[in-house]
Amino acid sequence: MKVMEVRKTERTTQYWARLRRGLVEGMVALGAMLFLLPILFLFLTALKPDAEIIKFQSLVPHHATLSNFRQVLGDPEEIPIFRWFANSVFISTMATLLVLTVDSLAAYALARLDLPGKRWTFALIVGTLMVPGQILLVPVYLILNRLGWLDTPLALIVPAGAGAFGVFLLHQFFLGIPKDLEEAATLDGCGRFGVFWRIVLPLSKTALATLGIFTFVGVWNDFLGPLVFLDSVDQYTLPMGIALFQTSYFVEYGLTLAASVLCTLPVLMAFLLFQRAIVKSIALTGLTD
Amino acid sequence: MGVATESAAEPGGTRSLAPARGRALSGYLYLLPYLILFGVFLVLPLLYGLGLSLFRWDMLSTVPARFIGTGNYSEALGSAYFWKALGATFRFVVMAVPLTILLGLLIAVGIEAVPVRRQALYRAAYFLPTLITVTVAGLLWRWFFNSEFGLFNALLAPLGIKVPWLTDTAWAMRSVVIMTLWWTVGGPVVIFLAGLQQIPSHYHEAAALDGANGWQRFRHITLPLLRPVMVFVVIMNVIGAFQVFGQTFMITQGGPELSTRVLVQYIYETAFNNYRMGYAAAMSWLLFALIAGFSLAQVRLLRER
Repeated sequence: MKVMEVRKTERTTQYWARLRRGLVEGMVALGAMLFLLPILFLFLTALKPDAEIIKFQSLVPHHATLSNFRQVLGDPEEIPIFRWFANSVFISTMATLLVLTVDSLAAYALARLDLPGKRWTFALIVGTLMVPGQILLVPVYLILNRLGWLDTPLALIVPAGAGAFGVFLLHQFFLGIPKDLEEAATLDGCGRFGVFWRIVLPLSKTALATLGIFTFVGVWNDFLGPLVFLDSVDQYTLPMGIALFQTSYFVEYGLTLAASVLCTLPVLMAFLLFQRAIVKSIALTGLTD
Repeated sequence: MGVATESAAEPGGTRSLAPARGRALSGYLYLLPYLILFGVFLVLPLLYGLGLSLFRWDMLSTVPARFIGTGNYSEALGSAYFWKALGATFRFVVMAVPLTILLGLLIAVGIEAVPVRRQALYRAAYFLPTLITVTVAGLLWRWFFNSEFGLFNALLAPLGIKVPWLTDTAWAMRSVVIMTLWWTVGGPVVIFLAGLQQIPSHYHEAAALDGANGWQRFRHITLPLLRPVMVFVVIMNVIGAFQVFGQTFMITQGGPELSTRVLVQYIYETAFNNYRMGYAAAMSWLLFALIAGFSLAQVRLLRER
């Protein structure tokens, strides 16, 4: 009798747990759809003819057309959208590589090496996390001017490597890696760089991927930098190009939307590819437990 | 190289000085590339800006820069425009930060409760908006918010509600915050989720065996173990929120009646529309002092409890 009762309550709690899990996932899924809706709206509306865009009737276009895209892509003289895209890809990629390289080296030295004065060096670096980028805007502009880098990709790539965020993030992550792994590698004859390259970096794939994505997205989305440091339309990044679009083609929603889709689509696809690498690296770092 | 010296030197520093110095020097090589960039594009501009803030300098005029001491600072503190911009910034921070943290944590906890094979999918969905450039996001939301032919009021019309999203001084900043939540919450979600996934599951299992319910486990296991991540996310979020610019610039251009003209926009206009470099630098330093004060207070507050 008692055994039966215990089994029964066990079964009902299991039942409740499953119901609750389903409810939670339902809410998570609903929220996810709400978050994706504006993006979907952007993509679908870009396929509408102008008349349908101005008077909203439904999310799905009645008369889908590619004419907006044809117009935006068909006039590289007037609208150098390929150029802007190439600039954005180049600048974001180079800045990300730079940040990953210099930050991981510095964070390793600060987290693991026995250097006199590293404590206050780290404090100084982390202290600058509080420095708002805008405070640097005017002086960096003047320094870039002195270097002759204004209106070139260098103006947006090199200063990105000075940020403290990545050093801080990787430093915290490196501290969490068990020291005995490194000691074992050292006993096996691994040099200091070997330990960094073969032990620390592979164990930090999650953190590196996270930092890589954040840097790439940050530079890609940066608006204030290009606004101030770039001058000629040929050097523009995509966000700047779209901003230009909104001032000069303001009435033509269709064109602006098509350009926005072309600006957004490649990043979304790149992220979805990248996403797999992150998931994989998370599985790999399960080793640290 | 010195395998034995390394391990022997660990606790007491008993190794001889010469190789130690050599190792330390080569150790600085790891630090050097970053330190050069850090020096040229962070420390130097910081000091340069501080110096600049003590001068009256119109970049376009031929009049040379003139030292005026704290003149720019007292001008800012006595200016109604400065205080108005500061007030707008505060209203954004006070609304956006708590909402972003709460929503981010809520979403991350929700995703973590979902079967592992679908977690990446949901994480991607919430993270995707952060990939949209601010000019595109601004264009979209300005349109959603438009009170005449915007999407939101079209959806609300059957209920007889018409919200002055961007045309009312009280609503404009709320609208910017709503857009910001959509645009930026993905970052905290990813970081919180990584933090949650690092918590060993046997902690929860042990607590569950002891009869702790879901909320108790969240309150007494998850939250304390999440503290380092929480400190990081909160501080980065506050710092970011004080620097808000792109959203307001694209959606409201600072209006209506300057109700959403935040400090950074005012600094930008002062420097690159009016070319008053010294005054802009001084206001930047005031913003910096404010952010630094808040961050230090937070570190203390969040660490101690």
